[in-house]
Formats: sequence, C-alpha cells, structure tokens
Amino acid sequence: MTIVQFAPFQSLVQPDFWHALTNLKIDVLRLSDDALPVSASYTTGRSVKDRESGKEIALGCNLVVGGDAFADAPQLPQHSVRARGSFKNFNTIEDFKNADKTALFNHLTDEIWKSITQDKSTALLSKFLLITFADLKKYKYYYWFAFPAFATKPAWEIDGEWTGAKAALGEDTLSAIQAQLHESPRPFFLVRTKDGKTEIAPIEEYDSFFAGIPVGERTIGFIDPSAQPNNPGWPLRNLLAYLLTLHPADASQGLRILCWRDVEPPAPGAAGGWKSRFGVVKQGAGEGAGAATAKPAAVGWEKNIQGKLGPRVADLAPMMDPTRLADQAV
Amino acid sequence: MHTIQQQYWAVREYLSPVLKESKFKEHGRITPEEFVAAGDFLTYKFPVWSWEKGDPSKARDYLPADKQYLLTRGVPCLRRATALAYTDADEDAERLLSFGDLSSTGNEADEWVETHAGRPPTQDSAAHAGVIDDIPDVDDGEGDVSGAMGNLSLGGQGVTEIPDMDEIPDMEEEDLEGGDEATAAPKTSAPASSGVATESEVEVAKGNLLQVRTYDVMITYDKYYQTPRIWLIGYDENGTPLTPSQIFQDVSADHAFKTVTIEAFPHSATLQAASVHPCKHASVMKKVIERMNQGIEEQQAARKSSSAGSKDSKQKKWPFRRASGNGKDDKAAASGEDEVEGMRVDFYLVVFLKFIASIVPTIEVDSTTAF
Repeated sequence: MTIVQFAPFQSLVQPDFWHALTNLKIDVLRLSDDALPVSASYTTGRSVKDRESGKEIALGCNLVVGGDAFADAPQLPQHSVRARGSFKNFNTIEDFKNADKTALFNHLTDEIWKSITQDKSTALLSKFLLITFADLKKYKYYYWFAFPAFATKPAWEIDGEWTGAKAALGEDTLSAIQAQLHESPRPFFLVRTKDGKTEIAPIEEYDSFFAGIPVGERTIGFIDPSAQPNNPGWPLRNLLAYLLTLHPADASQGLRILCWRDVEPPAPGAAGGWKSRFGVVKQGAGEGAGAATAKPAAVGWEKNIQGKLGPRVADLAPMMDPTRLADQAV
Repeated sequence: MHTIQQQYWAVREYLSPVLKESKFKEHGRITPEEFVAAGDFLTYKFPVWSWEKGDPSKARDYLPADKQYLLTRGVPCLRRATALAYTDADEDAERLLSFGDLSSTGNEADEWVETHAGRPPTQDSAAHAGVIDDIPDVDDGEGDVSGAMGNLSLGGQGVTEIPDMDEIPDMEEEDLEGGDEATAAPKTSAPASSGVATESEVEVAKGNLLQVRTYDVMITYDKYYQTPRIWLIGYDENGTPLTPSQIFQDVSADHAFKTVTIEAFPHSATLQAASVHPCKHASVMKKVIERMNQGIEEQQAARKSSSAGSKDSKQKKWPFRRASGNGKDDKAAASGEDEVEGMRVDFYLVVFLKFIASIVPTIEVDSTTAF
C-alpha cells in the first residue's frame, strides 16, 4: 500500500483577469477590500509528446482564472468545469502582507466543511481563495492562491498502483462516460453499469443511484486536472473527504476512483489510447481512521516560483505600459 | 507615435470595404463569410478551437456576433525557436519550398525555407546548450531602450524585467501549514516507469533547459488585408505571462521584430498580444493554395485513370507536411478526397495554421491531435 500523493493545482492567471481587476478596482471597488466571489475553471490534464525525445510530457495541473472571473455567469472554456472562489483585494502592500491569512483560510475551510456535512453538496469542494494587491501604477500584481484540501489522517493509500482505466473498466464503459460528459461536463460523478448500460450521475445521488449495485462495482469519477500517471489531481482530496464523511461504510471497503483525463475519445490507432487512470483507494489503518466528526486540518496555499510559501507577482508592465509598448512597434 | 499608428490602422480598417466576392484562389484573400465557413470547419474537425464572442463593444458587424474570432488555449511550446538556431550540422535540413511558377512572378523572395525538415530525433540540442544563454541579446538591445523609456515615464525608477520577489521577503510563511505527506511534489516525484515524464525530468535527462510554455492562440479576421490574423499570449511554466522579448524567443529569427509585433488585440478593450503582421499572408496563402490545387487536380486526374494507387499523390499534396507528421494531415487529406473542384475554402484555416507553424516553429499550433 502506498500513500496517494495528489498533484496540487497550479494557478494560471490570464492577463485579461488583471485587466478586469484593474477596471473593477478603479470603477467599482475603489477603496473597498470586501471579499468578492470569483470563478475559475479547470479541465482534464493534458500531456504533449515531445517530437525530439518521443516522451509524453505532462503539462501543468492548471486552475485558470480569466477575464470574466467576476462575471455572474462566466463563459467556461470547452470541456472545463467551474471552480468557485473567494477574492479579496488589499489596498496597500502592508495590508496584503499583514493580512490574517490563517483566518481567511479557516473561514473558507469552515464553509467547505459546512457544505459537505450539512448540505451534503459537492458544489464547494474545489472552492479556492485568492488574495491580491494591485500596484496599478507599475502594472504589478501581487497575488496568492489557496486551494484548501482536507488532510485526511491517516492518509489515503492505494492498493497496488494507478492503472490505465481501459484495463479496469473496458472500452465501452469509457466511451459511454465520454459521451455523457461531453454533453454535460461535471467535476465529480458516479458511474454504474447496469444491464450493460453505463450511466453517470451527480455525487449527491449516491444512495439512490448505487442502490442494488455491489460496492465492488461502484465507481466514482472526477475531472482530473493532473496528467501525471501516479498523481491524481487536487480535487480528489476533498472528494475523498466528502465520501469518507458521508459514506463511511463504502469508504472503509475501498473506493474505486476514476481519474477522468479524456476530453476526446482516442483517435483510432493512436499510441497511448485512453489516458484516464483508475485505482482503488482506502484510508490507511491507524488511530483516528474512519469518518471525522470535527473539521480536519486543511492545507493548500500555493507555493511561489521559488517553491516557498509566498505570494507570486505578475509584472504586466511589458504588456500594458504604453511607453514600453511603443518600443516594440516597428 | 505607436498610438497614432494604431489609430491610423483602426481608421483604415474602418474605411476599407468588406470583401464581398470570393477571391481566395486568385489572391489568397477571403471574405468574412469564408472566414466563418473555414472557422466552422476548423472547430468541427479540431474541437480545441472554438469561436469566441469577445468584447461586445468591439464586435465587428460583418461577422456573426458569436463568431468574432477563433481561440485555442494552452498550446504547448516545449523549446525556444532560438534554440533551434543553425549550426553547420543542420545545413542539410533546409528545404526550399517554392510555390507556384517562379518565372511568372519573377520574385525569388517568394520562396520559403522550411527549416529542420528532417530533423532526426536524436539530434539533441544539448550540443548547443549555450544557445539559451544567448537569448539575453534580444533583451539587451531591447531592454536598454525600454529601460530608458521606463525611466522617463516612471519618474526615474528603474524598470527591471524580472519581477523582484525580494520586495516582500517577509511574506514567506512556512508556518502556515505543516508538512503534508499527501501532497505530490510535482517537480521530483513523477516516476518514469510509465513513460510520462514531468517537465523537470526531461530537463535533467537531456542536460538542456526544457521550459514548457503554453500559448493562447487567437485567429481574427483582418478586414484591411482580408486574411486571417494570428495573435499569441504566452505563459511560462509557472503560469506567469511572458514578456514581449520572451515571446520573440519562440518566433523564428527571420520573423521576430519584423513581422511579429505586440499590438492591441482588436476584440478586447485593453488586452495586448503578439501578432504576426498579415501584410504578406495573402500572397503566401495564394501560392500554397495554387500548389495544393495542382496537387489535388493531378490526384483527381490520376484517380480517373486508375482508381488504385492514389496513396502517393495524397501524400504529395500537403506541401508543408512535416517529417514527423501527425494524424491530422491524413484526416484532412482523406476528407478532401471527395472534392472535385480543387481545394475548398473550408480548408483555408487548416492551411493557414501550417503556414503559421513555419513562423513559430516550436509552438504546436498545428498538432491539434496531440492530446
């Protein structure tokens, strides 16, 4: 049994977002530093084949924040699912530095935990936190993401290792899932095959959907932003915490997890085939195993480029400063 | 000055009439309707591309409101074009592509060179690892001027290209969270057993910097030049937006600073993006299309004489076919087989992407089946 290691989210902020923030700050927020809702999106993990070495190279496990992040109904990129977040902009660099990050983080995890235990909803499982300070004169934006994830103790372990989903579930099942996800992408879903027909359903319908299905055939899937073969993506952590809390009996027997990574069915004859991964995970034995009654500890502040826990900087002067742009013009 | 120039372009585009007649075979230009048709084909065949609305206030009325421009996000770019710089060993890899009859145009400059045509997979750029270090040349020349300009505008404060992280050193907070055994350390933990390497692993294995950048690529319709126009926004491996000089590293040396510039993206109020200037697009596209038409017509003739053995001619009609090839060419070729009157305009953007791929060789705009 090896401990399951999850590939953390990596934030990818499109320049449009900083433009939107600039406008929002000047026209709407002004000096207010109230928290605002914000939305982001993620999609299945991708890898690209290097022409020179022939290796598959996993691309980042990205959470993308775009220009319509503050819109009420943002237009999601194709095949993407939405993640909701809480956004807080500080007026000065001092405020940004001295912000009580632990309190902000705890506030968010309380919210997520409440939605799991009381609403039994998966809507907030990927909720994130974004704090910023915008230096509008210098076109510099300091930002720090947190992707809260409950750290289940003892940790989740996997029986054997992650395998290709085709071997475990079969071609037909995967094609059926692909077709249904293509119709309506959803971040988390249940899979059952009954009378030769494969269906998917929201996690919230767990009891009714899986009625009459043996535990050994219940499969739980999620859109996996990771492309690394042995590391499922970050959203699975909170999904597992959800399942452990609400369906402890099944969780104790091992959960069949499908890491969904196929936007399109593989091209006929293409090398590699289906990219989705499959594994059976179970909570490790030890003190405190089983459903937690109190909110577990959570982790998830994003590290900066240096690999330290600290904020990142986006310097958009080269792309926004009119005088710098003039130099590029021929 | 730049602003005035952009105003001028905006006015010029506003005044120029919308092209009504289909002229794509005669001079490589297309009408907005054909742009939409070609875009529909592209999005249908390769769903990574999608139509975007853009900023409603910037919408062009000659295009449908929900089909203002084409977008694909996260196009990988594994290496820098500057790292593909020539050495003597690469000499043979050049292949001259000439489209159409040279004597009729009398213009030798219309020949295009496809570089690294048959680049063997073992040809590792580790041999010239120093090339990466040479890149700052681009910055130096450019940085001096922009630095000076920055000084003027920002009251004497020097502008540095690299974000200065030391400005907020006390924000490093290791005590925010304890060690977490279940967090994958993405830079070190990926096992190589299953054949998928992480970015850093390749870097170590090859002794060469492999910085995987991603690009958002947009295709707009340029009313003045009556051709599609391509726009690029880049991110480095950490998700930080690329600066213009970094983007120029991904443009082949023949085109950087000449045909690729940073300009205001026409469908957004504020966004700036790198763009390939479309002034030569029409003539290049014309030659490619002529060449393809010949190929297709020959093929059709061949098919009439003998229905068998059309495989070879099918291969030849893609002038930009790469040595490494991908499934896309075959698919497109296969669906083109049914046509009888030469190339259809739907193919325009597919061909256009192949042309763009020669300007930005390391950005995989053309490998739409890579994932």
